[in-house]
Amino acid sequence: MASLSPDVTAALATLRSRWGAAAPRVAGEVVGALATAPLPEELPALPEAAPLGAPDGIVSTGFAALDAILGPGGLPRSTSVALRGEGWSGKTTLALRLVAEAQASGSIVAWLDAGRSFDPVEAVARGVRLDWLVVVTPDDLDEGLSIAGSLLAGRAVDLLVIDLPPRVEPARPARVADRLHRLAALARRSATLLVLLEPPTLRAGLGNAVAESTGLRLELVRRGWIRLGRDVVGQRTEVVIARNRFGPPGRRAELRILYADGGDRDACLGRDELLHGLLDAPSTDAPALHLSGTHNDATAPPLLASSPPRPRPIALAGSRVRPDLRVIPERPDRPRRPALDGRDGDRRERGGPGARRPPGDSARDGTSPRA
Amino acid sequence: MPEADGASVEAAFETLAGFSPGLAGVADPADPAFGLLEVQVDGLDRLWGPEPRLIERLAKALGPILPGSPRAGIAGTRFAATVAAGHARPGEPVHVAPAGDAAFLAPLPAGLLTPDPDVRARLRRFGLRRIGAVAELPRSALVARFGVEGERIHARARGDEIAPFRPRRAPQRLILGLPIEPSVADLEPLRFVLRRIAGALGDQLRARGSAAAAARLRLELDLAFAPPGTPARITVEQRFPEPTAEPEAIERLLLARLERTPPPAAVARLELELTGVGPAAGQQLPLFVPQAARNARLGWQLARLALVFGEDRVRRVTVGDPEAPLAERRWAWRPVAPEESVS
Amino acid sequence: MTRLLREHPRIDAELDPAGCLVAIRWNGRREPVEVCNRWRVDEDWWRAPIARDYFKVVGRQWLALVYLDRVTDTWHIERLYD
Repeated sequence: MASLSPDVTAALATLRSRWGAAAPRVAGEVVGALATAPLPEELPALPEAAPLGAPDGIVSTGFAALDAILGPGGLPRSTSVALRGEGWSGKTTLALRLVAEAQASGSIVAWLDAGRSFDPVEAVARGVRLDWLVVVTPDDLDEGLSIAGSLLAGRAVDLLVIDLPPRVEPARPARVADRLHRLAALARRSATLLVLLEPPTLRAGLGNAVAESTGLRLELVRRGWIRLGRDVVGQRTEVVIARNRFGPPGRRAELRILYADGGDRDACLGRDELLHGLLDAPSTDAPALHLSGTHNDATAPPLLASSPPRPRPIALAGSRVRPDLRVIPERPDRPRRPALDGRDGDRRERGGPGARRPPGDSARDGTSPRA
Repeated sequence: MPEADGASVEAAFETLAGFSPGLAGVADPADPAFGLLEVQVDGLDRLWGPEPRLIERLAKALGPILPGSPRAGIAGTRFAATVAAGHARPGEPVHVAPAGDAAFLAPLPAGLLTPDPDVRARLRRFGLRRIGAVAELPRSALVARFGVEGERIHARARGDEIAPFRPRRAPQRLILGLPIEPSVADLEPLRFVLRRIAGALGDQLRARGSAAAAARLRLELDLAFAPPGTPARITVEQRFPEPTAEPEAIERLLLARLERTPPPAAVARLELELTGVGPAAGQQLPLFVPQAARNARLGWQLARLALVFGEDRVRRVTVGDPEAPLAERRWAWRPVAPEESVS
Repeated sequence: MTRLLREHPRIDAELDPAGCLVAIRWNGRREPVEVCNRWRVDEDWWRAPIARDYFKVVGRQWLALVYLDRVTDTWHIERLYD
């Protein structure tokens, strides 16, 4: 295509400044039925996305105790982090809280749900904004990483969570491992926070790839249950910085995770005197152990940090700030989960531990599950 | 066109619509403006070549429709184009070079600048016999002498557009098509053609401050070597994540559709229609939600990913009834790619 | 936070002589459990009935939500608390 002379270029610029799109344009030669015209102008550059997290690009994990042991007070942008633990260690809760914190700071997040276990209702309960969440459900991990790569290359998201299932049997493990490495490199270049939820059962090749791709690894182990009466309403999870390219490893913190279900009972979860902690194996008794904090090298959490601090609500006009622990929007009273005694209606007693009665309660009938 | 009647002018408009969706003029012989057809040519060079070539094509297309010999002119402003057409001879259109409107008008009588006989007389009294002389005067002087009309004649003399183009119809759709000779089976040449058409339509939209909400892509297939049962035409319909006038975004989304479902035979003609045309809303910067500023771009990226990998791979999610007793009824997937169809 | 096992995999349940759930078998492993909460769901009985008895159970390591589908008389695991 012939280049334009400086005079014509200047004239066109003058015309465009005066008439905008109505200005004449220069065209090339017609070849057959196709006109070879100058390529369209590039799209105007979009404004740069708001920095992830605070102005220095640090994202709170949502747990003050954990933030305290992470050098910069949270996770830096352009970091790749592995949260390693069994499927009951609390790593999913930690990841969701991280998502909520990132979104509260203006981020758009993608969740690669390779295990097909993402629950949006639970995510909302953890403060996640579904408006700014993309969920990728690939056919296999290889495809998922390919989609993730496209998202990062397009700078579409600020935080990418890859939830690896406990059993991953890729057809081409070496290729998947290579994709992981490339993804981590792409995340660094695009200043995207990459979080991998790593089960300890990963095959050696994939496990090594995760280790090599991440600069920070946090090991999570459940240390005990938190009970309200007989019901298990939460857990204590210990987090250890197992590897840290940015500082010394070995620091520990304990997280208190509570499972709010949006009912009246949630109000009890903020009252430590009602909660009981267990250390290890389950027991048919409800031991009267008072929960104590065992925080090493961390600031003791506030007394009412029985659930992770909720991100500060975004002040949208017309919104209302939900009270703590009431994670589900209020709805008109309606029967919920009728008790096994077969009586209808909401049997929840306000202020009490809940309508569902434990075994042995006189309110229950003798109904028992069929074999 | 003294010999033309309303029907032939309507037919002329229909023919011209195949070249440009921007048409102005009247088909009522009783209307004083009858006889003047205006065609907006922004961006049409991508399809029809340089302006002289475009005039040839238009004249050739109108020849069998309009009686007599229409006279054609092309310029940067409506006034200059009308004057050019008035000075043209049948079969010899007047083409005013880009940036040449003022130079073209300068030697012409100043009386052309206004239909007002009083203003014309006063221009003569002031010794302003040529348009060039009027153009040399300061605007304030003309406004002081002639008021609002003075501002108009000053702008016309200097080649400034003062009368915005108002299409004859306010089309809800814009449509342009191109034959492809020889027919092509590969996507790369189709992308080339699609880019040209989308670019032309995008320019038309932007010139009017409009945006389109959806597209309809029609592919006419060359059945010479196609398997039996191959349809002669395929129509792909695609809604956009949000109304747009950006040709690149339109091209990428439609190309993703073609990549996902390639045409079953070589394509002999490609036609693109943009529908749901309305005023382009300005981008409203969010006051409280930083993500909203990027939502439009994210929407396009996700739509394309969904087309490439599948709508069930990349999705968003909504919570319906979080208190529904059954977990599977509490939420639902929300597709990122707007509804689409192929026929 | 719970992980929702969308397919609700089948499990096997062990009941004691009193009919209480004491263990489950899933993915080839037997896990003794304690029931810490339970409730019943009955839905859409006039169309396709949904009738489930839910049990929140705690095992040696994990906390899960399982249910008995009273229509098909099968046991399933719906969630793991993570």
